[in-house]
Amino acid sequence: MPCIIALIIFSILGIFSASHRALAKEAFSCVFRRITLRPCDTGFADKIKGKILAKIITRSTFLAKMVNKHYEILSWIFFILMLGSTVWVMQGVYNFYVFGSCNGLNASGFCAFDPSGENNKVTVLGDSSTCGVTQKTEENVTLNNVDLSGFPTQSIGSKDTVVFIGCYACDYSRKAYPDIQELIKNKQTNYVFAHYPAKTGAEFLANIGYCVYKDYPDKYWDFNSYLFSADKDFVLNKLNTDKILTSFNLDVKKVNECANSLDTKTTVENQIKQLNKTNIYGTPTIFINGKAFVGPKPYRVYKSAINKFIFF
Amino acid sequence: MLDTDKIRADFNILNGKSGIVPVYLDSACMSLKPNQVIEAMNDYYFNYPACAGRSSHKMGDKVTKKVKETRALVAKFINANNENEVIFTRNTTEGINLLANSFGLEKGDVILISDKEHNSNLIPWLLLRDKIGIVVKIIPANEDGSFNLDNFSQLIDGVKLVSIVHTSNLDGATNPAKEIIEIAHKNNTLVFLDAAQSIPHQKIDVQDLDVDFLAFSGHKMFGPTGTGVFYGKYKLLEKLEPFMVGGDTVEFSTYDSYKILPVPEKFEAGLQDYAGIIGLGEAVKYLSQFDFNDIAEHELKLNTYITEELQKIPQIKIIGPKEAKERSGIINFYIDETDMHKFAIMLDEMANISIRSGQHCVHSWFNSKKIYNSARVSLYLYNSMEEAEAFITNLNKIIKIL
Repeated sequence: MPCIIALIIFSILGIFSASHRALAKEAFSCVFRRITLRPCDTGFADKIKGKILAKIITRSTFLAKMVNKHYEILSWIFFILMLGSTVWVMQGVYNFYVFGSCNGLNASGFCAFDPSGENNKVTVLGDSSTCGVTQKTEENVTLNNVDLSGFPTQSIGSKDTVVFIGCYACDYSRKAYPDIQELIKNKQTNYVFAHYPAKTGAEFLANIGYCVYKDYPDKYWDFNSYLFSADKDFVLNKLNTDKILTSFNLDVKKVNECANSLDTKTTVENQIKQLNKTNIYGTPTIFINGKAFVGPKPYRVYKSAINKFIFF
Repeated sequence: MLDTDKIRADFNILNGKSGIVPVYLDSACMSLKPNQVIEAMNDYYFNYPACAGRSSHKMGDKVTKKVKETRALVAKFINANNENEVIFTRNTTEGINLLANSFGLEKGDVILISDKEHNSNLIPWLLLRDKIGIVVKIIPANEDGSFNLDNFSQLIDGVKLVSIVHTSNLDGATNPAKEIIEIAHKNNTLVFLDAAQSIPHQKIDVQDLDVDFLAFSGHKMFGPTGTGVFYGKYKLLEKLEPFMVGGDTVEFSTYDSYKILPVPEKFEAGLQDYAGIIGLGEAVKYLSQFDFNDIAEHELKLNTYITEELQKIPQIKIIGPKEAKERSGIINFYIDETDMHKFAIMLDEMANISIRSGQHCVHSWFNSKKIYNSARVSLYLYNSMEEAEAFITNLNKIIKIL
């Protein structure tokens, strides 16, 4: 049994070190002899046992005695633990590849490949003075019974649909936005954008955006991209709105009147209500064919979702 | 009496200049090298790395002179009748193979060996048995493993060659070489002595022993690896067929003839390991400064201590004679049904104690006794009592966890 453990461990270490490669060969020889029903007479098992016991005996003779006595049982335990942890690690690698987190979709536990949790960071909607949205768990985040018909949409008849719920004022939405644009361009998907003012001070842009889309649908997407890519402080400063509208050759007066109208306010409020029905707890939240991805994931994660690479 | 501290200062590995100081208890396999030997070899490579006996330039002349000096040193060291009786080889094994293949053995010739021969003094004869049909006979030993002269006397009749180990690397026991040779010569039988383990520890006088052939290695007596000596009485060497031939073994050659050079060149084919030979000369000089009685006394003191401590551990069985004084610098022990490799590995990992484990190239003995393997401690003049104590302390720790 120790030979199998050694073979796996030394094979992995052997990728980086020639001395461990030699040990891996010895371990393989031992394993091969055992599976061909011959005794492992290479002395490898005893060599490993000796090295382990020598390390322990310098700290505790009693412990060394126990390990020596129950070596085979301990080997089995470690083998099973190793198998379990190997499966766990493989699952973590898979999760990281397809979800951007070792722990699974939108799970924010520690991940060795993303130690700072960048792929799960969101602007939380918990600030009731701003949004009035209570944080939800990711399991409940859904598009079911959510009416998205009033939101800016690019429908090209694709079987795949991407819904991006983001906030112009949120760093993580701004981080995810270019990847989503690349995704819908490369994968030719249907696309729905919804601005959710997760931060105080971004509400007015929901109204402006709504009016630009209503009156100038052909210029809306460039305008939208600008709001995500331009300096955040500049965009969020109401004094600059007119300049921005002007730069897109839009009728400033018309857009402002629309944005300040009761109808627009009511419509935007209704849109926010629809978004709240998704139970999102932070921005960005991206739905790809109905599956929610919370936080700015690596591009491959979105691509995997479109490519149906997600098995679980 | 030996000044161990002073001796240890001559070995970089023991004086701490090379980092961790090992407790080196494996000198029967390989002795450590004093700085003098290493420096002599470096001097050759740095300052006159040329050929001997061929090139007519100053560097070549110097190498020729150094090789000649070493031959003379070795001849004096073993008290050979003349320096041409000293043939440089790579090791004892090569010396034995030289003899086996040059002796002119024929089908039915009988070779007598002991039951504790190193593979080097067993396999060459078994190979000839299989190739040309010589007969290899084993001399049964006494119960304690010591040499049985009566058994030997009964078997000697009609034997062509006695090829026997002087001091066994298995148990350190020294065979009564002088008596063996006397008995053999009375029966007109020649004797070869494997002196690999004896020459580092005791005075070898080939004329006093009257031994016909003898071989030893440099690496067990402070010399470099890949060096050895094959000794033979000159008249006998002249009769031996060349073993390997080629460069430097012939006086001249034509496309269909050649004239072999006399001894020793006859047996030293090709370019020799000059650095090694020069290092061997330095090793002989180094070893010659000590009185072999002092070496034996020092080793006996350490061996006695280790033996007494091992005898306190009931599971441990010492191979060979019980008395330390009969085992040179060797203590070879085992525990029934225990792989002794584990001991060697643990001692090394725990306290950098280097001992040898396995069957020590005497597989035939282990197989006949059905003993899996053993752990061997082998001492030399640089070992200290503190090292012997460290070995015992750590061994006792291992015994406790069994």
